[in-house]
Amino acid sequence: MVQINFALKEVNCKIVFYGPGMSGKTTNLEIVHQKAPEENKGELTSISTDGDRTLFFDFMPLDLGNVAGMRTKFQLYTVPGQVYYNSTRKLVLQGVDGVIFVADSDPEKMPENIESYQNLIDNLTEYGKDIRELPHVIQYNKRDLPNAMSVEEMDRQMNKFGVPTFEAVAYTGEGVFPTLKTLAGMVLESIDRMDSRSSKRPAAEAPRTAAPAARGAQPTRTAAPAAQKKPAAAPQRAAAAPATQRAAAAPATRTAPAKAAAAAPATAATAKLKTPAARTPATPARPTTAAQAAPATRRPGMPAPRAAQPAPKKGGGMAMVVGLSVLLIAAAAGVVWFFSSNNLL
Amino acid sequence: MGNPNKMSRNEKLRHDRLTFYKDDIEQIDKLLAEFLRLSGAKCALLIDKEGHLVTKRGELRTIDIDTISALVAGSFAATKEMARLLGEEEFTAMYHQGERDNIQLGLVGDRTLLTILFDDRTTVGMVRLYANETAKKLADIYRASQERHGDDPGLGEAYGQDAKKSLDKLFD
Repeated sequence: MVQINFALKEVNCKIVFYGPGMSGKTTNLEIVHQKAPEENKGELTSISTDGDRTLFFDFMPLDLGNVAGMRTKFQLYTVPGQVYYNSTRKLVLQGVDGVIFVADSDPEKMPENIESYQNLIDNLTEYGKDIRELPHVIQYNKRDLPNAMSVEEMDRQMNKFGVPTFEAVAYTGEGVFPTLKTLAGMVLESIDRMDSRSSKRPAAEAPRTAAPAARGAQPTRTAAPAAQKKPAAAPQRAAAAPATQRAAAAPATRTAPAKAAAAAPATAATAKLKTPAARTPATPARPTTAAQAAPATRRPGMPAPRAAQPAPKKGGGMAMVVGLSVLLIAAAAGVVWFFSSNNLL
Repeated sequence: MGNPNKMSRNEKLRHDRLTFYKDDIEQIDKLLAEFLRLSGAKCALLIDKEGHLVTKRGELRTIDIDTISALVAGSFAATKEMARLLGEEEFTAMYHQGERDNIQLGLVGDRTLLTILFDDRTTVGMVRLYANETAKKLADIYRASQERHGDDPGLGEAYGQDAKKSLDKLFD
């Protein structure tokens, strides 16, 4: 949850590196700590086991400096990746403003990647958050592995919401800053968007769920150096994006994810894909009722605010009737008391 | 807290962010200063549950505030899970005893933690007594603030534009 403190003139945001065990979350944070300018970073604190596995979290504050008169700070956390530590992982996710999902490019780790991503969705749901509304990016780490899975395949299996993706070799620092920069930008943009919606232009709120996906295509192509290296990947990613954007933008039309799953060729790999693909739409499907479809349907006519208007009037009328009744009863009681106390009855 | 999907825009804004205004912080600072005077504690930090500092009063020496805030929020969050296992919603207070310095934590309202650092110049009983009183007064300030300020004023249009420049400066 973003904290805005007008007294300290500060804005604080929480960013979490999420992903399966040993995928490189702590390494990402260590690189940020090594390379960030001295005046912008705080201490890197780790609560880890003797074997250097994260037990609770790693933490470091990163100061963006003065933004329009407000000192803006990011608190960067990692979670323990091991399945065993889900309760602590969930705690770190509390109040999160943006997530960097660090995936392992080792093909053998793909089931763990998918399981962890699903775990992220589930844990966010427990906090009442929808992943499609939370700024998040995916980093495909360990690109230097000789048997690294292709980016296209990873995209196909993991990037269901068309979010920005980045290739990285975290221990060398490659891809670490572009990932963080994009996510930080998305978080700040979401604060800005929230402000715009609250005060200035209510009509601009409709693309909210679609916005991260729409923005997604841009940084993937511009910020991720590897994406530029592989032009062949671009059309494929672009082709995948509309399907996922459709899924994100129109939660009411459940056919979009189904189409995406059905469109995939029936190979052994898709059998793996099918489980999470079927699972992922299922999670958002839970809240996909009138209430959740609202963000996507607000642009065409903004029915929600209008529908909400008569309600207070109705409530006000009821309150008035109740108030008058209470007054009448009180007056009658007063009259009876007056007469009885003066022995007039 | 209600279901965010069913909230109005302003409710959602209040759910998704925590805003503190200058006049509230002035009142809170006065209250914390009075608390320190009465209890004999060294320092009082008010932090939110996500580990961000709200305000502080008292002597801090060289403590890294950001880190201590994050760790305090983390340890408090961990006790919530313990409480859940015991059938409690959450524990509302915690105490860490050291050889010289001690920390007392207490929940204020449902989103902030009052963190008190104290040494052997006072006792845990004194600190707890006054901390409980202070927590109630702080909760009153939060309630009054919410009624007084109503809608969140936001950060203004310049913020988004400036943020982009600052990101370029830090990361490029």
